Amino acid sequence: MLRTTAERLAQRYAVRNPADLATIDRAQSWQAVADAGLLGLRARDGAQPFVSGVEVMLVAEALAGALTPPSFIGTILAEELLALAGVDAEIDAIAAGSARYALLLTRDLTQLADAESFNGAVGFDADAAGYALGLSRGRGGARLCRYAIAGVFSELQTPDFTRVCVGPATDKKRPEAELLGSAVTAEALDRWLALALTLTCADIVGVLRSGLRQVVEYSKTRIQYGVPVGSFQAVQHMCAEMLVKVEAASSMTRYAAWTVDALPPSESLLAARTAKAHCAGAARSVAETVMQAFGGIGQTWEHIAPLMNRRVMFDRKLFGDESHQLLCIADARLGAA
Amino acid sequence: MDYRENEQEAAFRKRVHDWLAENAPRNWQEEASDEKAAGRITRAWHRKLYEAGFIGLSWPEEYGGRNLGPTFEAILNDELGKADTPRISFHNYLGRAIFAFGTEEQKRRFLPTMLSGEVQWCQGFSEPNAGSDLASLRTFAELRGDTYVVNGQKMWTSGALNADWCLLLVRTDRDVPKHKGITCLLTSIRAPGIDVRPIRISDGAPETCEVFLDEVKIPADQRVGDPGAGWRIAMTVLSFERGPADIGMIATYDTALRKIEDLAKARGVAGQPEVRKALARAYVHGEALRLNVVEQLSQRSAGRMPGPEGSVARLLLTEAQQYINHLELEVMGADAFNGRATGTFNSYIRSRTISIFGGTSEIQKNILANQVLGMPR
Repeated sequence: MLRTTAERLAQRYAVRNPADLATIDRAQSWQAVADAGLLGLRARDGAQPFVSGVEVMLVAEALAGALTPPSFIGTILAEELLALAGVDAEIDAIAAGSARYALLLTRDLTQLADAESFNGAVGFDADAAGYALGLSRGRGGARLCRYAIAGVFSELQTPDFTRVCVGPATDKKRPEAELLGSAVTAEALDRWLALALTLTCADIVGVLRSGLRQVVEYSKTRIQYGVPVGSFQAVQHMCAEMLVKVEAASSMTRYAAWTVDALPPSESLLAARTAKAHCAGAARSVAETVMQAFGGIGQTWEHIAPLMNRRVMFDRKLFGDESHQLLCIADARLGAA
Repeated sequence: MDYRENEQEAAFRKRVHDWLAENAPRNWQEEASDEKAAGRITRAWHRKLYEAGFIGLSWPEEYGGRNLGPTFEAILNDELGKADTPRISFHNYLGRAIFAFGTEEQKRRFLPTMLSGEVQWCQGFSEPNAGSDLASLRTFAELRGDTYVVNGQKMWTSGALNADWCLLLVRTDRDVPKHKGITCLLTSIRAPGIDVRPIRISDGAPETCEVFLDEVKIPADQRVGDPGAGWRIAMTVLSFERGPADIGMIATYDTALRKIEDLAKARGVAGQPEVRKALARAYVHGEALRLNVVEQLSQRSAGRMPGPEGSVARLLLTEAQQYINHLELEVMGADAFNGRATGTFNSYIRSRTISIFGGTSEIQKNILANQVLGMPR
C-alpha cells in the first residue's frame, strides 16, 4: 500500500535526467509526499512507530529509484530522533511538511555531530530545512540539539547533485545549541544508527535497481554490429553480475529493516552494518558498470547514469563506507583488536 | 515476511537438534577413507534419519513423505550442517523429476525407496562433449518394440559408484532441434552394458564418475514423461539443485568461517586490520547468501516453484565459498605449503569445482541475463 503510494509519487516527480533538477518543483513534490502521509511514518502511537522499519525501507527504496524527492531519509531519521527524545510537536510539524530538519553529521559523515565536532560538520538532506539536528553529549547522556540554519550555514558543493548539504560558515561563531526533549540512551542511538544505515542501503538499492533496469532496456535497443548490444555475452555477464549484487543488497537490506523493530539494538546494528558493507561495495561497482554498459553516452553531463553514480557514491560514505563497517563487524565478531 | 520461526518450526528444530546430539555419527571423516566406505556411511546415515522420520519432510505422505512445508527441509539441512554430519543421498531434486513428470505407477514404484534410502540414485546428464552445452548430448536411445536400447557415455555422474539407479538423459530423435529430441529414462545402474569408472578430482578424491553405456536395454515403461520432454525435466531438476535446497551449505559455511576465525586467533593474526577486514568480509558474503536464500525459501513456502533466480544464490554461494578458501590459505601462510597443513590446500583446490559443477558460473550468468533480465540471445 505505502509502497504503491511511494511508487506513484516517485513516477510523478521522477528525475529522468539531470536537467529535471533545475525544473522540478521541489516544494510541490515535498508537499505531495507530506499529503500522502509518508513523512509521519515513524511518529509514535504510544511507544510503537506507526509503521515498521520494513515499510519505511520500501518507501525509501521506491523514492530513491526515481531520485526524488530529495530529503526523505534525512527527514525520517530526524523524525526518529525527535520521537526518541519525545519532541511530539515537532514530529507533527514534520509530518505535515511544514518543518524541515537536516541531520548534522560529523565531517567524516559516519555519525551525528556534537558541539566538539561542529566545525566541519555537514547538514545532510538540508533542502529547505530550518534546522540542523545534532547531539549534545553531557553527563546525563546524549540530548538532541538543533541549530537554526539561516545565517549560520551555507550550501556545500557536494558531488551529489540530487540532495542538498549545508555546512557552518567558517567565519561565524558557533551558535548556541537549542536543546530538545529528554535524554536519549546509547541503546536507542544504536537502534537509530541501525535505521540510518538501513535507509541508506535502501537508497542505494533503489537507485541501483533503477539503473540496472534502465541499462538493460537500453542494451535491448542499442544496435552495434547489426545486433542489440545486449545480445553480447560480455554485456550480459556484466548485467548478470549487477543483478546478483543488487538482489543480495536487497535481501540484506530487507532483513536489516526487519531487525530494527524486532531484535535487540546490538544485533540490529550488526545486521545493518553487514548490509551496508555489502551495499557500499555494490554501490560503486554497480553504478560504474551501469555507466560502462551505457557506453559513451553514459559518460555525459546530460545523462542519468553519472547522476545515479553521484548519489550512491555519496551514500557509500554516508554513516560509514565498506572499510568502516568491516572493521566494526570484526569488532563484533572477534572482539576489539 | 517474518524472519522468526513459528512455534511449530521452532519445536521441530529443537527435536532435530536433540536427536542429532544423541545420534550424529562421530569421527566419520576418518572412516570415509575411500569412496566405497563413504558410500556405506551415506547410506547408513540416510537410513537412520529416515527411520527417525526426518527424510522426505516436504513430500506427500502417499510416497513416504511427511507433508510439511519447505521450511522444515531447510531447518533439517541447517541442523545437519551445524552438526557436521555425513552427506545424505540425493533424493530431493532427483525425486522432483519423477514426482512432477512421472506416472502414478512410477511414483509409487520409485519414490518411497528413494526417500527411504534403500535405493540410491545418480544423475546421468553431462557427457564428454555436452558440458555447459548440455542439450547437445549424444547418448542415443533407439526404441525397439517396447525397449529402449542405449549407447553412449555420461560424465560427471556424481555418486555413480554407490548408486543403484540412474536418471538418464538420452537423445531419441536426431531430426528435431537439439532441445526437442531429448528423453528421460530411468535405469538400474547394474543393467548389462553399463560400466562405471571413477574420476579423481583435483584433491585426489574419486568424487565423480564416467558411465559407459553399451547396448543397454531399458523397458519403455521406465521413461519419464513423453518422448522429447527430457529437456524440461532436466531444467526442473537443475533449478531444484541450484535453489535453496542448498541451505545446508549455509550452516556448513558458518561452521567453516568460525573455524577460520579461531585459526586466525590461534596463529596470532586476528589483530591485523587486513585479516580482520577479510574475516568480516567473509561474514558479509555468508549473510548475503543466507538472506537471499531465506527470501527465496519464503517464496517457495508461498507456493512458487524455484526458477532461474536460483542462479543468484548459486553465484553468491560460489563467491562466498571460494572467498573463505582463499582466506584460509592466507591465514595458514606458508604452513599450507611446507607440509604441515596439507589439508588446507586440498580443500582450497576442491573449492574450485564450485564454479563448475551443476552449471558453471558463466552458465548461471547466461541464465540470469536471458531468463531473468530478458536480454536478447
